[in-house]
Parts: sequence; structure tokens; C-alpha cells
Amino acid sequence: MLLNRQSVEILAPAGSWEVLETVIEAGADAVYLGGKRFNMRMHRADTNFDDEQLEKAIKYAHEHGVKLYVTVNNLISSREIDAMRDYLMLLERIQPDALIVQDLAIMELAKEIGFTVPLHTSIMRNTHNSESVRKYQEYGITRIVASRDLTLDQIRLMREQTGIEIEFFIHGDMCVSQSGQCVHSGVVFGQSSNRGRCLKPCRWPYQLIDEETGEVIPDSEQTGPYKLALKDMCMYRHLPELIQAGVHSFKIEGRMRTADFVKRIVSIYRRAVDRYLADPTSYTIDENDWKELYENRSRDFSTCYALSNTLGAKLIGYDGSREPRFFSQAVKEATLDVKAKLGKDESPAFKARPQLSVRVASLSAVEVACKNGADIIYIGGDAFRPNKPWSLADIREAMRIAEPYNVKVVVMTQRITPNPILGELEQHFTALKEIAPDGIMVSNTGAMKMAKEITGLPLYADFSFNTFNHYSTKWQSDNGIVQSTMSVEASHEQIVDLLQTSQSPIELIVHGPIEAMVSEHSIPSAVLGLDNEDQTPIYEHQYALLDTAGQKHSIRFDQHGKSHILLANDYCLFPYLPKLTGAAVYRIEGHIYDDEHLAFLLQTYRAELDSLYAAPQEEANVDRLASLKENAPRPLGIGALRFRVSR
Amino acid sequence: MYKIGILQLTQNLDTAVHGFKQALAQEEVEYLYFNVDGTVEKLPAFAQKLVDENVDLIFACTTPAAKAAIAASDHIPVVYTPVFDPVSVGLAQSMECPGNHATGVSGMVSATDKVAFIEELLPEAKTLGMPFDPNDENAKIEVANFKKAAEGHFTLIELPIASETDISELSELLTDEMDAIFMPIGKLLEDNFASIVYYTDDLDLPIIASHAPNIVGGAIGGLAANHEALGYECGLKAIEILSGKDAGTIPVGSVKTPDVLLNQYTADNLDIELPSSLVERAKEIYN
Repeated sequence: MLLNRQSVEILAPAGSWEVLETVIEAGADAVYLGGKRFNMRMHRADTNFDDEQLEKAIKYAHEHGVKLYVTVNNLISSREIDAMRDYLMLLERIQPDALIVQDLAIMELAKEIGFTVPLHTSIMRNTHNSESVRKYQEYGITRIVASRDLTLDQIRLMREQTGIEIEFFIHGDMCVSQSGQCVHSGVVFGQSSNRGRCLKPCRWPYQLIDEETGEVIPDSEQTGPYKLALKDMCMYRHLPELIQAGVHSFKIEGRMRTADFVKRIVSIYRRAVDRYLADPTSYTIDENDWKELYENRSRDFSTCYALSNTLGAKLIGYDGSREPRFFSQAVKEATLDVKAKLGKDESPAFKARPQLSVRVASLSAVEVACKNGADIIYIGGDAFRPNKPWSLADIREAMRIAEPYNVKVVVMTQRITPNPILGELEQHFTALKEIAPDGIMVSNTGAMKMAKEITGLPLYADFSFNTFNHYSTKWQSDNGIVQSTMSVEASHEQIVDLLQTSQSPIELIVHGPIEAMVSEHSIPSAVLGLDNEDQTPIYEHQYALLDTAGQKHSIRFDQHGKSHILLANDYCLFPYLPKLTGAAVYRIEGHIYDDEHLAFLLQTYRAELDSLYAAPQEEANVDRLASLKENAPRPLGIGALRFRVSR
Repeated sequence: MYKIGILQLTQNLDTAVHGFKQALAQEEVEYLYFNVDGTVEKLPAFAQKLVDENVDLIFACTTPAAKAAIAASDHIPVVYTPVFDPVSVGLAQSMECPGNHATGVSGMVSATDKVAFIEELLPEAKTLGMPFDPNDENAKIEVANFKKAAEGHFTLIELPIASETDISELSELLTDEMDAIFMPIGKLLEDNFASIVYYTDDLDLPIIASHAPNIVGGAIGGLAANHEALGYECGLKAIEILSGKDAGTIPVGSVKTPDVLLNQYTADNLDIELPSSLVERAKEIYN
């Protein structure tokens, strides 16, 4: 396709009016900014635009021939739906050029109110495969912000397969975790990275330890304490690759940055893009501009995952010296001794006998689950080494074991499934159609779409859907989901709200490890200097990160080598089950426990749920709770229930 | 047409710059603006650039920026804010007659005002925990001032926290005797406030903060300098200087009416009723 002046859009952030004017003058084709409501930069009271300024900003941008996108990219809770509807009405009236959205509820609300402003999916939707794109296109989404963990080749393929317009972060601050899939700040601090309040635990210092011996693995010359501190993205030296990959909108990060800082970046990219578009063959990098960009950098630069996803130690700014500021330091996570902040509303009564579900990692555990009171068993999906991924034969065997117990077997899919893995899933789903398990638990909207079309089996949505409100569950149920999992970032009040409002069944995760982050980056590989070497040595040990509050965060590798970094405390909502009645299903994430402990957990929760079903109680059974604490192989905690509202 | 250089340490001070420009709105001014985005080491080089440009005046935001601007020449007038205590850090010989071709507006809110504010907000509080960074010059000054002002009002328990990682262990320092926490100014604790309020929440301890963003972040309230007003007052001093007055002879100003900032969400969580007298005076009540 031939290039013209419109082929590339330089998209600049504007945290304030001054920045807005400056970046437009500097040559931005479009700007994005947040209102005072529902957007991702909520820490500072002095950034973002109130309703009146928003309207003025749109007018100002349009007068200058510049497009303006409003970020409405927070997850919202059930009780925020009405406020969101009002906000959408306002936006309908003032007509920005698009909204950048995360929560599935907004697609649902947009349909309800006949919203005419185009919608773009936010980076927080972690859009990483063509099937997700096609699903969003059904909802009228005209552009996606592509996942930052994809390579340009993967982006090109996604574009070619769907024709969707691609926006991509080409410069600025990045996340080490897959976007929208990090719950560290949300669970520990009650301030969610999915709601614009990330306190950046990835910027803390950590030591790598051997989890079994507790021994500290010394840093190599290339590494240091700040092991998750991803460098800033900078694609300046790779603009031709970006353009030829079909990236249309070049997004510059920095809504909390000054006018001066953003202006320099915009002008430098503007000049380069103009030169390339005018005459691609003669294009060369302007080394003076590069020098200026580099000398005025905030953190050091990297191309992150765009050109390759095996960059290892080079991705990280280990010494912390260029970190612009810290937002928090490590804290001791809430244990079971911390009291939950309960909302005022009571949870609804059970509609039927509460079901107990469990995620397991082996066939022996399937048997344990069947014998100890499970109603649903989840198998498959991400397999933490040394466990192997589930084969089709394993799945058949699990179903054979479960059948006489009348226990459902539901097959999970991996959390992150970019196009190559989605290809494998197509094969897998085709086989599952024949095998016919009781359902498939999907982790993203692309896997959801494909599973529905190929298998026709009942679909379950995992916690990775970040389900927070009843409009999101409606969206899911319209798309074949029979059961949605509540986000693990929710507080008691927010859980009760969803239980009261959702038309479709809700599952609560009540026990087990919580994955704080899932990342392409392997810390042990970097520390051991194995960046481009054989990775097998890291699979011979179990590693963990030790933070400055003495908390150990286990690292688990899945079959694709992704790191799943766990919170130090396993989730345990047992003490609050009497206040969390009314869910259809209660889940134990049992895949990291041995069979003996799993049997004990299942018996304990089964007994408690049955007695709660028989008669409401004020308090959880004291003996069972004591026994849970005593037998816990890992520390336990109450996660986000520590907070009245997860913000 | 005047040429004014602005030397800024962090974007947190955008509002001060805004206030400064407001005061000069009627003048014809060309601004040369440098923001080092938190990197203190860059300040001298940028101050030098402004001197090389032969600006008529430098507006310096923060103590290190003011130091760099004053050191860069022996004649270009400098107006600074929010410098906490210009005398003790050597920027001014005295508040009345600062010398050094420089003057400004101090960002210090008087410790007496803060003591009175805490008594009004938390009438039952008798013992205050006071976490501070012992390596921060400004924090030390405020701690000394506050100790003096608190005599006969509060029992203070000092909680020195010398490094970022020590914040992780704050829970070990908090005791039952404390009724509330007073946080003097100081960047280390202000930046990592989320981890401090994480621990104090556990003990239902309200925090009175000195840094406005910390009140948004979960402190129950605080008295804070209004940076825009400080900037504006600096702008007025700049006008005096541009019309011929020697900067070193213009007295350093101070915060006259600090903003009352309150957090209703925090108050609800702690089951504390915000006194109506303060609610009426509050500049902002965060939710």
C-alpha cells in the first residue's frame, strides 16, 4: 500500500491545557487526554480535564485540524455504571474523535445508549490476537492499541488478518507485566493499575533467591537490585519498520509529563515521520535529533519487545538511578490477622447449593478433587514447570476419573495467546469438540470467540477478564460465557455489588496463589546471564523474588517460558465466607498444592459452604479456620478485602 | 521585552510557574524554560545556559534550582520558590535582606499553624508519631520547628527513616501510644507515601501531611502552601526587580494563608468526623 501524509498519526499525550497547546504546535496529528472521571492517571489532582475544559479542548483541537481522543480506560464497579452512562452522554454531546476504553461494560453501554463516538480499545485490554480484534470489530471498535508485548511481525499479521487500525506505544514508560494483567498494586494497596492508580511495585528493589534454600543468587555484572524496572520504549531508530508493519498511530506515553518534555519528543518524531513519508528510499536517521532525544531521556531506552521478545537483561534499568520517582516501597502483605473492611450491604442468599471448584495440575489431583467434594475441576491452561501441559490423553483420562463422581471437567486455556499460540488453540479446540469436556475456561476474548465457534461448548471466563461489574458479565454472557470470575482486585463491597447485580453466575476465587504479574521477561535468566543461551538451567530450581519488606514472591514458568510472579501471601477468604454468600461457585486455585493439602482444603471449604447453605452464620467456623492457618504450606492473606473499596 | 529564564526541578511545580506567569501577564516577556524532570545534577548546566542567554531574571523552582541559578552568575537576579528555609540553606543572609542578587517566597507553613490545625482536626489526639528523613535538610528544620511549637500541646515520638527500604519496616516503629501521625515535609517519605499510609491504616492511625498530593493519597488532611500563590507572589517581586530594584534588598516572602486540604474518604474509613469549622475553610475535600 502506498504511503501518504495520512498514513501515520503522531499521537501525543496531554495532561494539561499547556501541554495540549504545546503538542499541537509541535505537530501532533492527534492528542489523547483524560477527563476528571474514569481514566488512567488518577494520582494527581492537578492533571486531567474537567467537563468544561474537555469541551474546550475538543474545540481547540478541531480548530487546529487535530483529532482528540478521550481516555475512559478504567475498570468500573457495578455502582459506577450509572455515573459512567452519564459521562458517556456528556461525551456524546461534546463529540471527541474517539474514546479509548478498557471495560467491556462500555461496549455494552455504548450499544444501550446509541453512542456515536468511535471506540478504540485501550492498552489495558491487552489485545494480542486477531480473534480478539474480530470480536471487538463486531462491537464497532475501529482501532486497537496493540499489546506492548507483541513483536512488529505479530502486529503486522494481526493487521493483515483483520484490517483493524493499529495504535502502538512507540515512546515512553512501559510495564514489565502484560498490560491489564497486573494485580500487584490493586490487591496489595487497594489501588489498581487497571483503575489508573498503579503504585508501581515493579519499580521496587528485589533480590533473586532460590526458593527452596532461601539462598540469595548474586547479581551478575549486568544486573542489580531493580530487577523489574523496564526501560522506556523508544522506537525512534526503527520508524521504517513500524510504518511498514502497518502501525498507523504512533503513541507517545506521558500524560503526567511537562509540555517541554513532550514537545521535544513530538517534534523529533514529527520531523522523522515527515521525511520518511515524503521519500522513504532516501530516509536516514537524523543523528542530531537522536542525540537530543537521547540526552533528554528520562529512563534509558530500549525497543522492549517490538523487535524481539528475548532481550533479557538489556530491557531493565537495574541500578534505579534513572527512575524519575518512586510511588511506593515494598510492604508486608495483609495476613489473615488483618481485619477485612466489610461493605454495608449484605451479600445475597444462595440461590442453590454453592458449588466448589478447583484448579489442579495433575491427574492424581483430579481424583483427590472428585473424592473431596469438588463440583468443577479446572485442568489445562498455563502449566507451571515442572508440571507438563495437559495432553489430549490426559484430558480424556481426567474426564474418565471424574465421570462416576458426576464432577464437571472444564479445560482452561493459556492466559496470553498471541497468534501463533492461537493457531495451536484452533487445533486444540477442534479436538476438544470431539472429546466434549463440560466446558472451556477462556482467558481472553480471542480464545473465547474461537472456542465458541469451534466447540459450541459452555464457556467460562477466568479472572484475567478483570470482571468488575454486571454490564461486563452481560457482555460475556452475550458471547457464550456461562460463568464469570470476579476480579481478584475487588473489595468486599465490590464483590457484593456484583453478586447482587449480575444476571449470570459468578465465581469467586477464595483460596490459592494470586499471580501479581505475568511477564515475558525472565528474571532468573537475566541474573544468571542466560539471555541468549539455553534456558534449561532456570527450570532446575524454583526461584522467588525477595522484596525489602521480607516478602517472597515465587516465580513460576509456564510452558512458553513466561514468568508468573506470585504475591507473597496466598489468598484465603475463608474467614469471610459468611459475608460472601450468593456466588454460584467458589474456587480454590489448587494447582500449586500437593494432593494431601488439596484434599484438606477441599474438605474444609466444602464443609463450610454446606453449613452456610444450611443456615446463614455470622462467623466462619473457628476450628476450621484454625486448622487452615495451621496447615498452610505458604503464608495466607486477605488481599484486597483489606480495603473498603479497591480504587 | 524582557527575557526571563525558568529553571524547574520537577513537574510538580507547574502550578508555581503558572502563578508566576499570571503575575507577569501584563508585561511583555519571552520565557526560556528548562525543566530537569527531577534530575538535580542537570541544574547547573541549565542555569549556565540561561546565563549564556543573558536573561534579565531567573525564576528558580526549589532549593537546588535556586542554588544553581545563584551560583551561575554574580549579577543576574534570581527569584525562588518554594524554598523551605532560605536562610538555613544559605540562599539568603536574612529574610529581611537576603542579598546574593536573589529573593523569593518561602514555602514553609508555620509550625504553630500546623499544631493548631491538628488540634482542630483531631481534638482527642495527644501523642503524635513523626516519621521523617534525617538526611533531608528541610525535614530537619521542620522537625525542629514543630517540636518547639508542639510543646505543651502534643507528645511527639520521632520516627527517623533514613532510606527508601526502611519504609518497608515502618510497621515495626508504629506503637499503640500514637493517636495520629504528623508527616513533616521531605521528598523521600512524600514520594513513597502509599507505603506509609498502608501501615498506618492497619492501626487506624490518621496522618496529617504537609505535601498536598499526600492528602489526595490518603492522609486525612493537612495545611499546605498553595504553589500557584507562591508563584504569583514571586511574579510580583520579579516586576519590582525588572523595574530596577536590587533583588537582594527585597525581603523574602512567606506563606500567609496556607490551603486547608481534607480527605473525606479517609475520614470515613477511620470513622472520624471532619469538624465543620475546617470543612468550611477547606480549599479541597478529596473523596
